[in-house]
Amino acid sequence: MKRAPRVAVDIGGTFTDLVYLDEAGGTGTGKALTTPHRFADAVMQVLSEADLAGVEFLAHGTTVIINALTERRGARTALLTTRGFRDVLEIQKANRPDLYNLLYRKPEPFVPRRLRLEATERMNHKGEELVPLDEEDVRLAVEAARRQGAEAVAICFLHSYANPAHERQAAEIIRELWPEAVVTVSHQLTGEWREYDRTSTAVLDAYVKPIAGRYLAELTERLEAAGVSRRSAFAMQSNGGVTRFEVAAEAPIHLVESGPVGGVIGAAAIGELIGEPDLITLDIGGTTAKASLIERGRLRVAGDYFIERTPTTAGYPIKIPVVDIVEIGAGGGSIAWFDPAGALKVGPRSAGADPGPACYGRGGSEPTVTDANVVAGRIDPDYFLGGRLRLQADRARAALQPIVERLGVGLEEAALGLIRIANANMIHLLRLVSVRRGKDVREFSLVAYGGGGAMHATALARELRIRRVIVPPNPGHFSAWGMLMADLRHDLVQTRFVRLDAVSIEELRRLWAELEGRLGATFAEEGVGEVVFSRAADMRYAGQEHAVQVPLPDLDGSEPEFWAEVERRFHEHHERLYGFRLASPCEFVNFRLTGLARVRKPSLRPLPPGGGLEQARKGTRMVHFDEVGRHPTPILERDLLGPDAVVQGPAVVEEPAACTVVFPDQTLRVDRFGNLIVETEVP
Amino acid sequence: MAEARAERIDPFTIEIVKDALVAIGDEMFVSLQHTAKSTIIYEVLDYASGLVDARGQLITQGNGVTGFLGTLTFAVRSVLDKFGVEGLQPGDVLITNDPYTGGGTHLSDVTLVVPIFYQSRLLAFSACKAHWTEVGGKDPGSWTTDATEVFQEGLQFPCVKLFEAGRPNAALIDLIEANVRLPDMTRGDMEAQVASLRLGERRFCQLCDKYGVDVVTGSIEALMEHGERLTRLELARLPRGTYVAEDMIDDDGIGNGPFPVRVAVTLTGEELVCDFTGTHPQVPGPVNCTLTGLHSGARTVLKAITSPSIPVNEGCFRPLRVTCPPGTIFTAQRPAPVSTYWETMEYVTDLIWKALAPVVPDRLPAGHFLSVCGVVVAGLHPDSGELFLLVEPQAGGWGAGAAKDGEQGLMCVGDGETYVIPVEVAEARYGILVDRYQLDVTDAGAGRYRGGRGCIRDYRAVSDEITLTATFGRHKYLPWGVDGGFPGSRNEVRIFHADGREVVLGKCARYRLRKGEVARLVTGTGGGWGSPLDRPVERVVEDVRDGYVTVAQAARDYGVLVDEATLELKGLSAERTARARGEAGG
Repeated sequence: MKRAPRVAVDIGGTFTDLVYLDEAGGTGTGKALTTPHRFADAVMQVLSEADLAGVEFLAHGTTVIINALTERRGARTALLTTRGFRDVLEIQKANRPDLYNLLYRKPEPFVPRRLRLEATERMNHKGEELVPLDEEDVRLAVEAARRQGAEAVAICFLHSYANPAHERQAAEIIRELWPEAVVTVSHQLTGEWREYDRTSTAVLDAYVKPIAGRYLAELTERLEAAGVSRRSAFAMQSNGGVTRFEVAAEAPIHLVESGPVGGVIGAAAIGELIGEPDLITLDIGGTTAKASLIERGRLRVAGDYFIERTPTTAGYPIKIPVVDIVEIGAGGGSIAWFDPAGALKVGPRSAGADPGPACYGRGGSEPTVTDANVVAGRIDPDYFLGGRLRLQADRARAALQPIVERLGVGLEEAALGLIRIANANMIHLLRLVSVRRGKDVREFSLVAYGGGGAMHATALARELRIRRVIVPPNPGHFSAWGMLMADLRHDLVQTRFVRLDAVSIEELRRLWAELEGRLGATFAEEGVGEVVFSRAADMRYAGQEHAVQVPLPDLDGSEPEFWAEVERRFHEHHERLYGFRLASPCEFVNFRLTGLARVRKPSLRPLPPGGGLEQARKGTRMVHFDEVGRHPTPILERDLLGPDAVVQGPAVVEEPAACTVVFPDQTLRVDRFGNLIVETEVP
Repeated sequence: MAEARAERIDPFTIEIVKDALVAIGDEMFVSLQHTAKSTIIYEVLDYASGLVDARGQLITQGNGVTGFLGTLTFAVRSVLDKFGVEGLQPGDVLITNDPYTGGGTHLSDVTLVVPIFYQSRLLAFSACKAHWTEVGGKDPGSWTTDATEVFQEGLQFPCVKLFEAGRPNAALIDLIEANVRLPDMTRGDMEAQVASLRLGERRFCQLCDKYGVDVVTGSIEALMEHGERLTRLELARLPRGTYVAEDMIDDDGIGNGPFPVRVAVTLTGEELVCDFTGTHPQVPGPVNCTLTGLHSGARTVLKAITSPSIPVNEGCFRPLRVTCPPGTIFTAQRPAPVSTYWETMEYVTDLIWKALAPVVPDRLPAGHFLSVCGVVVAGLHPDSGELFLLVEPQAGGWGAGAAKDGEQGLMCVGDGETYVIPVEVAEARYGILVDRYQLDVTDAGAGRYRGGRGCIRDYRAVSDEITLTATFGRHKYLPWGVDGGFPGSRNEVRIFHADGREVVLGKCARYRLRKGEVARLVTGTGGGWGSPLDRPVERVVEDVRDGYVTVAQAARDYGVLVDEATLELKGLSAERTARARGEAGG
C-alpha cells in the first residue's frame, strides 16, 4: 500500500466510494457497501484500503444530513419567533403548485405548533428597534421547550437580516439557561430577507444539528485513532468548498448536498487541466440524471435551494449557497410505461438497484433504459461492472415485448425508441441548466460520469450540437475524485436594498469590510490565513423582484468609473439572461461575499504512453446507432488505450463501471491524463 | 387528414415532440416570471402563457393560477374573428382585454397574442395573459369594488395591433403610458410579455426546423387526442347522474344582494354537463363574471375530477358542456362592470364542486374559504414619498377531505402557484407594519376530518394615510361541510380605528386608515367532513395541545373534555358516549 496524502470518501446510496492520490500522483480507488444505520462504519472500512499514515487532506461527502431530513430522523426541535408569527412556518408561501389537485397536502412543518414559541420583540426593515426583547418570554420558551423534550432550538425574528441584536440576545439567554440545548440563529445562516425562508433554514439546521454533531464527532475520533489528524479532516459543503469538521458541525445544513457537488468540482478541475473552462456536467446513475453548469471555470452557486420540491409539491426552502445542480428521474433503471391513454413514458419510476433492470435477472420484469441499451448492443451483457454481474439479454428482450406488441414495431426499434425518449428527457435536463439560464448549450463541452453518463452523453451531444464530450477516468468514482480538488470556501449574503444613486462607494467599502471581517473570522477558525474574496451583488430594475447576480468590479478605482461599470455589467447580465434591457433605474438587493482559501493540490501526472489500438481491441459486435444505422463495431478496453490514441467511430469503449458509445460520425481521442474526448463534427 | 399524417410519424417521435411543446409553454412561463415588473405577476403569478394552434385550439398552457385555465384560446379566437388569417403577418403582436367577447375577464388581465408563421404559413399562436397592476380607470390599481360601468375600470383594448410587422405602434404605446398611473411598471410588464411570446415563437419555429411541419402538426393533434382520451377515461369511472347545488353570493359591493346562483351538473360517463340556468341576472356592482370566466371556472373542476396532473390542452376540455343564458351574473353583457369578476368565477367552480363532492370524494374535499380575499393597499411610502400599491391575495382555510384534514393557510382554488407576500418584503416596500400573521383558531369547521384554519394578518398604517380596497367574498355565506361536517367560518376585514371604533366588512373601496390604525384581514376556516363525534378522541386532544382546536370547541363540537390547565383528557360528553355505545350496540 502506497502512502496516500490526499483522500476522499463519498457516501452514496448504495456504495461508499474512496479515491486517493498517492505520493507519485497516481490514483487509487475503493468501494464498500454503505451502512445506513452507522455511516461511519463504511467510511472506516473503505478507508482501510489506503495507507492513512501520511494523510494531509481528507475530504468527506456525506448523506447523513439529507438522510436525517428526508427520513425525518432529526432532533425534536423548538422554534422561537417574534410574537404573532409562530405560524409563519406552517403558512409557508401558501402556494398550490399542483393546481388542479384539490386534495393537495402542504409540506408538514418540522416543528409542531406546540413547540413554536413566541417572544415579544420587534425590529423594522431598517433595523430599528421598535419593541425591546422581553427576556422573560425567552425564559418561558426555554421552559416550554424543555418540558416537551426538545433537544434543539431555532430562533428567527423578523428583520434579523437588518439587525440581529435580538436574535443574539435570545440565543445568549437560551445558552445560559440551557447549555445542553443545540441552538441555531437564523441570521448566522443567512442575511437575506423573507421570513419564511429564513425560518425554514434555521429550523432544518437545528433539526439536523444533534445528529450531525454526533456523527462528525464519532468520525473525528475514529479517524484520529486511524492516524488522521482532526486538522486534516474536511467536510464537503453544498457550496462546492470544504470546511473543517468542527466548523461544519456548527451549521451542518451547509452539508445538505454534500455528495453530488463533488463531481461538479471535479469537472471544473479537469476543465482547468485541459483548458476547457465552459462545461456542463452530466451525472447519470441508476435512478437520476443530474446536470450543472460551469462557466469560465466557475461553479454556478445558487441561493434558491429547496428540499423535497417537485412540480407538484412546494418543498422546504433552505437559504444557503448550493451548487446549482438540477436533477430529473432518468437513469439506467428508469422504467418505460404506458399511461392510461397509451402514451409511452420513460421514468421517473426506477427499478433502482433492487430488483434492478430486467436483464439483471433479479426479478425485475419491466423494461428499463439499461435493458434497451443491451438490446441495441450498446451494453455487453458479459462485461457489465467488469463482468461481475452477467446480464441476461433474453430477459431484456422479453421486457421490451409489450412495447413491441402495443406499438407494432420491431424489437430493436422499440429499444431505440425507448432510448430516444430517455435521451429526450436528458436533453430537457441539459436545456434546463443552459438555455433556461440564458446560455447557448453549443458553447459548452459535456463532462459525463456516473455509470450511465458516457453511454448517453455522445448521443446527447449530437442532438444538441455540442462539440466535445469528456469522459474522465474512473467515472464511477468521479464525485469522490472531485472532492480531492476542492478548496475551502465560505459565503455570506446580506440583504440591503438600495438604489444605485442612493449609496456611495464609501458605504459599500464599509459594508464589504464588515462582511470580510465576519468571513475572515470563520477562516481563522479553519486555521487559514490567506483568503481570496470575491464580491457580487443581486441587482434588479427598481420595482422588479427577480434579481440578476452581478460580479462587482474593484472598489479601488474612481467612483464614477465604478458606478458606470456596475451599471454596464448589470444591463449586460440582464439582457443576456432575459433578452432585453430597460431604461429604469437599478438597485441592489443582496450583497454576496465568497471567500476561498486554496488547498495545495498535487499536480496530476500525465500517463505514460500506452499501447496501440490493436492491443485495446477486444472484439467486434453489431451496435445500433439509431438514425445512423447498424454497424459492426469494434469494442475497446479503456484501460489498454494509451494516451494520444485516436479512434474513429463507430466504437464502444468499455471499462468496469461505464461504457462510452462513439457514433460513426464521432472521433475519440485519449488525452495525456487519460480522459476520453469524443468530438462531434458540428457544421 | 391530420390523423392520417399522425399515423405516419413514428410513435416515439410523437412523444418527444409532444413533450417539447409542453416544455415551450413552461419556458415562456418562466421567462415572464423573471422579467415582469409587477409583483402581481412575478410574486403572485397572476398570469398564463402558452401556445394555441391555427384554429384557436389550446396546445399547451403554463399556468400560475387556475383562474386563467383556457382563457388564452378565447383571446386567440377573437383575433381570428377580427382579422382572419389574411389580416395577420409575421411580427404582429395583438393586444386585447375585452371582457365580453375578447377572451377577457376584467380589464386588468391583458392578453397579448403573437401569430407564429413558419415558411409563410400561419401555424400557431403564442399567447399570454397577465394581470397588469395598472390599466388606468378611476382607482389606483384599476380594479375596485364600487365601479358601476366598465368605463370606470380602465383602458379597454378591443383586440388591436400593438406591433405591426415587427414595428411597435408608438401611438398606442404613448396612449397607454398617458392613461396609467405607473407607466414604467405597465410598460415593463408589456415588454416582458412580448419577450416571452417571441421566445415561444422562436422555440416553435426551431421545433419545425428540426422535425418538419408535418411532424409538429401531427404531434399537436396527438397531444390533444391524448388529453381527450385521458379525460374521458376518468369521466367514465365517475357515477352517472345529475347533481344540483345552490348558493348565495353576498352582494355586489354597492349595496345590492344577496344573489342566488345554481347549477345542475350531469355526469354522463362521457361528458361533464353544467347548466347554470336559474342563476341571478347581472348586477349593478363589479362582481359580474363573463363567458370566458364561466368556462375557466368550470374547466377547473373538470381537471380536478379527471386528470389533475396531465398537461393542459384543448383535448382535455372537449368533454365539457357549459350552458347558461346570457345576461346572468355568470354571463354579463357590456357595459356591466367586471373588475372583481373573479369572486363570482370562484362560485362557478365552487357550485360544481359542491354538487359533486359527495360523489367524487377521492378528488374533492368540503368547501373552502373560496374568496381570493384580494386587497389593494395604496399610499405614499414614508421613506421615499413615492406612491406604493400593495396588491395581493390572502391564504385561507381549506375543507376537510373524506380521509384528510383541511389544509391551513393555502391559496384559494382560483389561485395556484401563487405566493403570499413575505411580511419583511411587505413592510420594506409599503407603508405598513404587519402586527401578526397567524392561523385563526375559530370555533368552526368541526368534523371527523376538520376544516383547515384560515389566517389573520394585521396591517397597521405607518404613513399618515393609506387606503384599503378589499373584496372578501363568503362574508355572509359560509364554506360548506360534507356528510355531517360543520360549516367553516367567514372571511372578513376588521378595522380598528384610533378612536376605538371597530368596523367589520366584506368589501370596501379606498377605505381610509390613518397612521396607527389597523386593518385585520381574516380568512375563513374550511368545512368539515363527517360528524365531529366520530373524530378519534386522541386526535382531538392532540389538536387542543397544538392549539388548532380550543378547549371549548373540543367539548361543544367533539364531545371531548380537556382540562384547561394540563391539557389532559378529562372525559367525554354524554352525546359522544351515547353515540359510541349506539354504534357498539348496533
